Amino acid sequence: VICWRHSGTSSGAGPRDPPGSLRVGRGARCIGKVGSLSEASAALRLPLVGSGAERRRALPGHPRSRRRQDGGPLRAQVLGGRLGAPFRPQRVPGGSGDVPILTSEDNIVSQPAKILNFLRKQKYNADYQLSAKQGADTLAYIALLEEKLLPAVLHTFWIENDNYFTVTKPWFASRIPFPLSLILPGRMSKRALNRILLTKGEPPHYHLKEVEAQIYRDAKECLNLLSNRLGTSQFFFGNTPTTLDAYVFGFVAPLYKVHFPKVQLQEHVKQLSNLCRFCDDILSCYFRISLAGFSPAGQDTVDANLQKLTQLVNKESNLIEKMDDNLRQSPQLPPRKLPTLKLTTADEESNSFQPLSP
Amino acid sequence: MTLMCNFLRLKLIFIKNDYFSSLEGTFLKWISFHFLFTGEQILLSDNASSLAVQAFLQMCELPIKVVCRANAEYMSPSGKVPFIHVGNQVVSELGPIVQFVKAKGHSLSDGLDEVQKAEMKAYMELVNNMLLTAELYLQWCDEATVGEITHSRYGFPYPWPLNHILAYQKQWEVKRKMKAIGWGNKTLDQVLEDVDQCCQALSQRLGTQPYFFNKQPTELDALVFGHLFTILTTQLTSDELSDKVKNYSNLLAFCRRIEQNYFGENGKGHIPLRSQGKKEKQLILSLDQSGYTCEKL
Repeated sequence: VICWRHSGTSSGAGPRDPPGSLRVGRGARCIGKVGSLSEASAALRLPLVGSGAERRRALPGHPRSRRRQDGGPLRAQVLGGRLGAPFRPQRVPGGSGDVPILTSEDNIVSQPAKILNFLRKQKYNADYQLSAKQGADTLAYIALLEEKLLPAVLHTFWIENDNYFTVTKPWFASRIPFPLSLILPGRMSKRALNRILLTKGEPPHYHLKEVEAQIYRDAKECLNLLSNRLGTSQFFFGNTPTTLDAYVFGFVAPLYKVHFPKVQLQEHVKQLSNLCRFCDDILSCYFRISLAGFSPAGQDTVDANLQKLTQLVNKESNLIEKMDDNLRQSPQLPPRKLPTLKLTTADEESNSFQPLSP
Repeated sequence: MTLMCNFLRLKLIFIKNDYFSSLEGTFLKWISFHFLFTGEQILLSDNASSLAVQAFLQMCELPIKVVCRANAEYMSPSGKVPFIHVGNQVVSELGPIVQFVKAKGHSLSDGLDEVQKAEMKAYMELVNNMLLTAELYLQWCDEATVGEITHSRYGFPYPWPLNHILAYQKQWEVKRKMKAIGWGNKTLDQVLEDVDQCCQALSQRLGTQPYFFNKQPTELDALVFGHLFTILTTQLTSDELSDKVKNYSNLLAFCRRIEQNYFGENGKGHIPLRSQGKKEKQLILSLDQSGYTCEKL
């Protein structure tokens, strides 16, 4: 079983970021997973309590590096959702360890790159149909994102005072239990600042303002490059999503969707209409939420519902049965567009920890 | 501390203009380029960056003159070598140098369209992200290499307490940076695996073409050449790093091609890799037509 853990969802009037919903869809490709999906779904019933307890125990006591705090969970989740791995997103409050964390049986995998490797070893691979050159391009663009865009994203979320105190800090603090909620956001912020200064803050930029100017310039250039590369196609490599799409989405979507007071980079993203369209596409395909919570009045109601969601493990048996049904009915190859599972509205519960029950 | 050793260390590349002709139009008359302390002082990562810039300038067909000084790092505006000095301007590191040269009218990547330019930038970041960081890791965070090679080379021009102090200070700085970007907990094997992944990506991108963007070399080619050539020809405590690169035959052919075209005997310059001066622990990097070998003195 694969259990998914990442840090808090939104609260208050905050972000549109939809990290809290269940996405199980049979997205791009499930290679060689004919039997194992149903096995996994059967296995879902079993060690739920066990893995919950395991996860609790496995809460790391020592802090590890938290870079890609914001891009990571979303990105890995998108990829996981695409691949149709049976996900049970569990939010375990607190934790001074890494996020996102993937727990599967007795494996704990902690960083996005490692999570992707892990999924690949389990034979969930979104890059199966890419040529060697495209695979190399993926690696190169990921490096570009990390080098140019990540500092600006970190700055927007964690260092820009207005944004940090209005949006990010309450958002994270709301999902962390009391004593840690005072400490951890501050620590994350310091770590982000440290990282930016160490990698970008060398002379001739002696003042933070100059560093900020430089990283925003780099970020805008990077977004322009991405937009040029995307062009008019639906995803970066044709019509099916790949790892690179997940990475780009993970970085760009929070910038695009979260309501910030200081919106410098967001404005820039909104001007690049193909990136916005790309994010919206992925959101609608892979992050679809329950019909009950959805209203044509649009994203606001959606977000309000999302904000009430903590983690959704709502009707587990329905879920498993639906998955089994889908599995039995559908052909295994070629991969189809996802029949995403609609969630029922048991997700009105907003308790912070959902105990797993078979 | 830095003031104390300011008069001692320097590694740099000069571009001098001809004082006797007007500066309009031709901004570079001759560029001088020599590495004085290559054998004793320069480290793997600095050598790679410097070679990349040198290759780029050769590809642009700009006359260069190399000057080596012990305190080049402190002379440079960004604290990194190499840097170029032309007229009354000083520009350091490959990115700004490319932009500077482009502003003066020489560019290698004009013929590329937007998508290709994006790809080129992405691959340059890949090389910087993976190869350069791996080189830094290897020379500052791997205890064997640090003890045997890096400390003695870095502190070479300085008298006794200063050489140790500066080396430890630099090591602490690099380790801090590694920790901030998440490489602090990586083992050497993981780093080598990353290098392998990067080389694989470069090899796949290059394919059977002569250069990365078909017929003409660009700054990406210069950068890749600088790093790969340095990795191949520097002898460290173990050969694992260069072995990773040697697995990819098209990358080896690529390095050889650029070396012959731009640094060969009949080319426009030579890779000045001979050591001079005091001999502490030195490596002579020699170019063998049939392969790359290193000799130790």
